[in-house]
Amino acid sequence: MSDSTHSGRFDQALRAWEKGRERYKDKLRPGTTLSGIPLKTVYTPDDVKALDLDEMPGVYPYTRGLYPDGYALTPWMQQMVFGYGTVEETRKKMERMVAEGMEGYFGHNVFNVVYDIPCMYGIDADHPEAEGNLGQCGVHMSTGDDYDELIRGWKLEHTNISMITGDNCLPALALLVAAAERRGESSTSLRGNSMNWYPRIAVQDIPSWEPKWGYALMVDLIRWAAEHAPAWNSTNIFMYGLSEAGAKPVQELAYGLAWGKSVIDAGLEAGLDPDTFVGRLGFQIGCTQNVFEEVAKFRAHRRMWAKLCKDAGCKKPASMHARVHVHTNGYILTQQQVLNNNARITLQALAAVLGGVQSIHTCSYDEATSIPTEESHRVALRTQQILMWESGVRDVADPLAGSYYVEALTDALEAKAWEIFNEIEAKGGYRKGLETGEIKRAIDNSSYEMKQNINSGKQVVVGLNKFKSDSLDKVEPFRVDMAIEDKARKRLESYKAKRDQTAVDAALEKVARACQALKDGSGTLMPALVDAARAGATNGEMMVPMRAAFGWFVSE
Amino acid sequence: MAGKPIKVLLAKKKIDVHGRGSKLIARELRDAGMEVVYFRFGTVDDIVNAAVQEDVDVVGVSIMTSGQLHIAEKLMPKLKAAGMDDVLVIFGGTIPPVDFEPLEKLGVDRVFPAGLPGGVVAEYIRNNVGTPSPA
Repeated sequence: MSDSTHSGRFDQALRAWEKGRERYKDKLRPGTTLSGIPLKTVYTPDDVKALDLDEMPGVYPYTRGLYPDGYALTPWMQQMVFGYGTVEETRKKMERMVAEGMEGYFGHNVFNVVYDIPCMYGIDADHPEAEGNLGQCGVHMSTGDDYDELIRGWKLEHTNISMITGDNCLPALALLVAAAERRGESSTSLRGNSMNWYPRIAVQDIPSWEPKWGYALMVDLIRWAAEHAPAWNSTNIFMYGLSEAGAKPVQELAYGLAWGKSVIDAGLEAGLDPDTFVGRLGFQIGCTQNVFEEVAKFRAHRRMWAKLCKDAGCKKPASMHARVHVHTNGYILTQQQVLNNNARITLQALAAVLGGVQSIHTCSYDEATSIPTEESHRVALRTQQILMWESGVRDVADPLAGSYYVEALTDALEAKAWEIFNEIEAKGGYRKGLETGEIKRAIDNSSYEMKQNINSGKQVVVGLNKFKSDSLDKVEPFRVDMAIEDKARKRLESYKAKRDQTAVDAALEKVARACQALKDGSGTLMPALVDAARAGATNGEMMVPMRAAFGWFVSE
Repeated sequence: MAGKPIKVLLAKKKIDVHGRGSKLIARELRDAGMEVVYFRFGTVDDIVNAAVQEDVDVVGVSIMTSGQLHIAEKLMPKLKAAGMDDVLVIFGGTIPPVDFEPLEKLGVDRVFPAGLPGGVVAEYIRNNVGTPSPA
C-alpha cells in the first residue's frame, strides 16, 4: 500500500508514534513465532494487503471460515478422545461422555474412540507382543462382539464414530460395517471417520506397509467408502502427527497440505472423480502455544487447501472445504507443575476457536504423565464448554479478521508454507519425501532444534526451564487394571469358540487372494475384508494376510 | 574407560508409534559421546537378548504408552539371570512420578521425567555406569 492511501490523521498518528518510542526502540527485541517468522511490535494498515479485506466467511477461498455465520448455526464438535480397557469399559465411558454433554453438530453423538496399540498394529489379545499393552492407552476391540457392543443402541444416522486406528484401518471399518448389518442396517447409515492415515509413516516410529502398497490400501478404502458409505469420512490428514513429531507450525501446514495433495493425486491416478472423494477428506491439526500464529495457521490452511482442491478439478464447494479437527498439542504439556497444563490447554483451545475449526479435542492436564483420570478428562471437556457457553468467543465468525497483525501473519505463514510445499513438490511430492526419509529428517531436526532451545532456555517452558520447583507433583494417575488383559483374552477365546471356523478360514483365504488382486491391479480388497468380518474374522486375523502381501517398512 | 565410549541400549516399544522423546534422548546421548543402539522391542525378552548381544553398559527404557511397572518387574530379574548384573538400568518418558519409587524398588537405577536436557541424563550415566547398584 502506498502512502497515498493513508489518511492525514493516520500519518499524523504514525509520526507521533515514532516520536513516542524514539528513546528506547533500539533496545527492543521483537519476537519471532515458533515457525521463526520475525514479528514487529506493532502492525498497521501498511501490513495488510487490500485483498485480505475482500473476503466473507463461507465463500471461496474460505480464509474466514467454511460457513457463512461461523458457529452461530451450530458450535464446534466436542470430540474428546477416549478409549481404554475392553469395549465394556469404553462403552460405559461413551455413556458418561454423552451425559456430560459432549456433542457434535446439532446435538449428534460424537465418539472419538482410540484403539490400544496392539489393535492399531494389528495383533489380537492372544499375541505375545500384546502383553502389557491390552486396553492400556486405548480400547481393545477386535471381534464382531466388540463392535456390536460399540454401536449398541446408538442411532447410527445421529452418531459420528471416529475410529482412531493404525494399520488396522481397513479391517476396523469392515468390522463396523458387519456390525451395522447385523442390526439390519447398511453401510450407508454409517457416520464417522476412518483415519486412513498411512502417510503418517513419514514420521511415525513403527513399521508399516511398503509405501507403494500403503497408498494403494488408502485408495482402496476411499473408493469403497465413496460407493458404499457416502456419508463416511474416508481419510484423515494427520497434521497433528507431524507437529507432535516435531514439525513447526509452518512445516505442519506445508507438509500437511503436501500430504493432502498426495492423497488427491493417488485418487486421481486410480481414476476417481475428485468430487466423489475429496470432500470426504478431513484434517486433524495440532494447536500449540503461540495463539496468533495458530489462528493464522488455521486461516491460511483453509485458503491453501481450497486452492489445491480447485486446481485438482473439484467443482463442488464442499469438496474444497478443509474440515478441521483440532487436537491440542500434547508435546507442550509438562510433568513439572502439572496443573499449569490447564492454562496451556485453555489457550490452545481458544486459538482453535478463534481460528474457526470444526471440532476440538482438548488434552487433559495430566496427560504428561498418564492417560487422563475421570476428573482431568472432565475438566478438559469443561474447558471447551466454558469457551462455548461462557466466554462469548464463538458469537462472531472469524473475529480476528481485519486485524492488521493476524492478516499479515496469515499471509506470512501462507507464503512460507507455499515455499516449503513447492520444494517438496519439486522433489516428487510428499510420497517421495516419505520414501526417501526426507520429511522425517526435516521434522526430526526441528524437534531437536526445539529441544536445544528449551535446554538453553531460549524457548521458555514455565515450570520446566523457568520458575522451576524442586519436586514433581505426585498426581495419582488413571490406571487400567491389568485384569483387563485376561478379560480381553477370554472375550477373544469365547468369540472364536462360537463361530464357524471353516467359514472364517475360507474368508481369510479370500482376503489373501484379494490382497494379490489389489497388488496386480485386478481387484479391490475392502469387499473381501467386509466378507471376512461378516464371517467372524478378527482384527488381528485379517491383518495376517495383509501383512504377508503388503510387506513391512520402517522409515528410519 | 578412555577411548571406549559408553554403550547404551535405548529400548522403546515396537508397536508404539510415538518416537519423539526416544529419538531425542538417543541423539542427545550421542551428542554426549555415547554409543546408542536404538532398539524397538516386542517383548521384554527382546530387550534382554539385545542387551546381551550388544554387550551394553546401560539399558534405557523409553515409555510413552504405559506398562513401566510391568516391564520393570520382568526385565530386572531377566537381566540378572542373563548375567547382566552390573548394567545400569534407567527409565524415562511419560511415567507418573508416583511410579518412580516403585520402579526403583524393582531395581531400576533411576527414572527421569520427560523434558529434561539430555545432558542431565548423560551426566547421571557417566557418574554411575559400571558401579554396582545400591542393594
